[in-house]
Amino acid sequence: MILQTLSFYLFASICVASGVMVISSRNPVHAVLYLILAFFNAAGLFVLMGAEFLAMLLVIVYVGAVAVLFLFVVMMLDINFTELRQGFLQYLPIGALVGFILLVELLLVLGSWAVSPDAGAALVATNATVGGTTNSHALGRLIYTHYAFLFQCAGLILLIAMIGAIVLTLRERVGVKRQNVGRQVARRREDSVVVVQVDSGKGI
Amino acid sequence: MICWNGLEPMVDFWQDYALPGAIIVAKIVAIIIPLLIAVAYLTYAERKVLAVMQLRRGPNVVGPFGLLQPLADGLKLFMKETIVPAGASRALFIMAPMLTFILAMLAWAVIPVDAGWVLSDINVGVLYLFAISSLGVYGIIIAGWASNSKYAFLGALRSAAQMVSYEVSIGLVIITVLLCVGSLNLSRIVEAQKTVWFVIPLLPMFVIYFISALAETNRSPFDLPEGESELVGGYFTEYSSMTFALFFLGEYANMILMSAMGAILFLGGWLPPFDIAPFNWVPGPIWFALKICFVLFGFLWVRATFPRFRYDQLMRLGWKVFLPFSLFYVVLVAGVLVAFDWLPTP
Amino acid sequence: MVDSLNSAFGKAELATIIPELFLAVAAMVLLLTGAFIGEKRAVRATTIGALFAFAVTAVFVVMMPYGDSGRVAFNSLVHVSAFTAFLKVLILLGSALALVLSIDFFEREKIARFEYPVLVVLATVGMLVMVSAYDLMTLYMGLEMQSLALYVIAAIHRDNAKSTEAGLKYFVLGALSSGMLLYGISLVYGFAGSTNFTMLAPQLTDNPEAGVVIGLVFVIAALAFKISAVPFHMWTPDVYEGAPTPVASFFAAAPKVAAMGLLVQVLTGPFGGMVGQWQQIIVFVSIASMVFGAVAAINQRNIKRLMAYSSIGHMGFALVGLAAANADGLTGVLVYLAIYVVMGLGTFACIIAMRVNGKAVEQIDDLAGLSRTQPLVALALGMFMFSMAGIPPLAGFFSKFYVFRAAVQADLYALAIIGVLASVVGAFYYLRVIKVMYFDQPAARFDGMTPGVALVAGSTCLVTMLFWIYPASIITVATRVSALVIGG
Repeated sequence: MILQTLSFYLFASICVASGVMVISSRNPVHAVLYLILAFFNAAGLFVLMGAEFLAMLLVIVYVGAVAVLFLFVVMMLDINFTELRQGFLQYLPIGALVGFILLVELLLVLGSWAVSPDAGAALVATNATVGGTTNSHALGRLIYTHYAFLFQCAGLILLIAMIGAIVLTLRERVGVKRQNVGRQVARRREDSVVVVQVDSGKGI
Repeated sequence: MICWNGLEPMVDFWQDYALPGAIIVAKIVAIIIPLLIAVAYLTYAERKVLAVMQLRRGPNVVGPFGLLQPLADGLKLFMKETIVPAGASRALFIMAPMLTFILAMLAWAVIPVDAGWVLSDINVGVLYLFAISSLGVYGIIIAGWASNSKYAFLGALRSAAQMVSYEVSIGLVIITVLLCVGSLNLSRIVEAQKTVWFVIPLLPMFVIYFISALAETNRSPFDLPEGESELVGGYFTEYSSMTFALFFLGEYANMILMSAMGAILFLGGWLPPFDIAPFNWVPGPIWFALKICFVLFGFLWVRATFPRFRYDQLMRLGWKVFLPFSLFYVVLVAGVLVAFDWLPTP
Repeated sequence: MVDSLNSAFGKAELATIIPELFLAVAAMVLLLTGAFIGEKRAVRATTIGALFAFAVTAVFVVMMPYGDSGRVAFNSLVHVSAFTAFLKVLILLGSALALVLSIDFFEREKIARFEYPVLVVLATVGMLVMVSAYDLMTLYMGLEMQSLALYVIAAIHRDNAKSTEAGLKYFVLGALSSGMLLYGISLVYGFAGSTNFTMLAPQLTDNPEAGVVIGLVFVIAALAFKISAVPFHMWTPDVYEGAPTPVASFFAAAPKVAAMGLLVQVLTGPFGGMVGQWQQIIVFVSIASMVFGAVAAINQRNIKRLMAYSSIGHMGFALVGLAAANADGLTGVLVYLAIYVVMGLGTFACIIAMRVNGKAVEQIDDLAGLSRTQPLVALALGMFMFSMAGIPPLAGFFSKFYVFRAAVQADLYALAIIGVLASVVGAFYYLRVIKVMYFDQPAARFDGMTPGVALVAGSTCLVTMLFWIYPASIITVATRVSALVIGG
């Protein structure tokens, strides 16, 4: 148990610390790298909770794909972020005030938090992981049966996002030579080579 | 009694932490040392294979048949000076090769060498492998960016796009295997191939996996990130000495890793090809090693044979050929499994 | 394993979502058709295909047997009833008419893309899902599906700074509202342990915990954003102005119906026990929208911005019916939405017809003297303006009449009085448009209407003018379906 507790505090503190670094580091590339560190430690926390499937998904999807694209974009953008931050301090007081108010409100809500007496009965997925199955099985059962409709809706949303990205960015450029593999393969010798008997000194 | 009270925690500590800890460390060493030796001799094997295919002799000076060549190379790199370019992001510059190397080692924690011979037999082993291999891109991106050099940066950008693209098809390939197994556990995947290796029913997926693995490890014909004829040395243009060596080792360790993954997913891991004598006299780890060598030879063979892809061709292959085809195959496999009621029972 | 899969997709369950299913499949077919036929020729084909799909879907919606309590499917994620059918038909009508308005417009602006009808269809699928939501998660899914498609089509004129600005603004603020919605949902879930409407309703009673009230406020705020009610309206004028006019006309109709229907269902369903809590919020939002919509529109020169403020005001009026929180109020909301869709699309049809020498114009001054150059268009637009102002015997009068009557019945006298005053103020700017058309010196002559636009303008104008002959047509249906929601 000590080991688990220690790991928890290790993951949690690194996660929070790198979260702070994400917003405070001067270099955007460093910020993204800290973000990755934060994801990683969050995955570690998932593992500690026994949600290994989620942990791996977090690493694969967020660290392996999303953050790579973040990094990709941030590296290629030639934006002087220090310049962008020039006016930052100017807005700090009002930002801090809003943050403070939100914090107080959150504390008020959480302080008086109550759970409905019937809440336990309403839960759907309490016991999904118990009963000897791994949590990928349990998740799969829930997603593909109980929440199948939502799962399909989510797929449709992704389709819309894809169409949207293409609509807004794809440009048909004219005058670009494109490789057409089908045509290349279909090209035969007779179509492109002509054997000519040329008399010397005459040319074609 | 008093002294018992004082001693008991010590005994607990010894039994609960120190001993298991020592065992784990020993296991790790038992995996890492052979792996490092394998990496060293993979470089040797590569040179020899290339040499034979090109009608040369290959390394043959240092030691008998040049067998000590990898050690000599390692020593040479170790003795050189590490140069950090001016304007480089120093910490990241040093970190990148270490990251590449560590990730390549880290993945071996879940690779089963034989039934039960695995450091950590986790339920989501395949996902872990996939996750670790998808992290490999960071070493390259960070190296490219931290070098503060155009060539390195271009190489890094290429590799980021390339690896993300081919990860997608690898993911779908893994899904087809998972559909046939019904588990994400690597040992279970191997055991599911007792009757028939997956390479037979899923041959097209194995081909896609192999080609994607080439792209994922930046091997030729997909070695554009380092493409020396256009980008000097690609993402490791600015690296020298041990930092370079770590990249190098990482790349070869990744090759072995991808081969091991291929062997587990498609070639039945430690299982013999036929469960009859004399095949099953040979211990599992040997079979596993043989299968890894078989796939690795494919890597080297391809390098000796094919010219480098152009970047747009590479992207086209990944997105327009592999992705639709492997998606189709996922649907096909799932459909066949459901239609014939062959779904594995978890 | 196989058995459990089959049980999740029982035939009866699938039959419940046939309209959504059909429309989603139609969208994918249209997408493939467009991709294979090629950009230029596909636009007309996909538009007509989408219209056809809307029509078939509407038939599915109407033909489905609902019974008195409606049908629940997919483990209570979806619920359809005659009430949702009413809203769905309205949504499909709005989407279809807006799509008709887009025919030829994009070609003339040289931004025709076959994805536009596809995205409109997908947005409509999202709206249908929203309306059928019987779980907070379904609600969110539908809302996102609809919003994501709307963000894209707001920016569909991507080489135009205003259009991209509209898309971006809508996206950023929409993402913010989605965040609020999720936060609110999570608070409610944290209290009740469920997101299902049937499970929530008995647990959310009068005299709730502070956290639940905050959750309710967040949910209402997010939905108010979608119907562009004050104080969550700031995106509306910019988006209406920046987006191409057919897109703005689409925004003005169907999404408003869907979001309003959703708001009604959420507040009367799971939050039905908390009337005391949400009624005051709705009353405030309603008053603020009516007053702001009336006052802020006065100074507008751009007719699309004018329509944006007008839509804010109209949503305020519709909310009056919801604030009444009784069956009559609900009837009022439904009638209001139906009439608003017709009037709004008619007005936008007239706006789309505002073209001089092939270029679209959108200033109110461009309408000057329209009665002499094109009397029919002027008449139609005039009718719409009178109707929006609520002048009897036009349709707009009836819509306002029903919501105010409900408010009075619910003893919300102040709300009704402020509403009437706001509509008097609002009448000022509607009448100003008429004054410009009929009494100012003629400006440049507009090009002729295209058949599609003329069809929409003509038919909606007829409905608006002749509604008084047979108002019972809609009102009896609305009364019957709203009794299902609040009576049951």
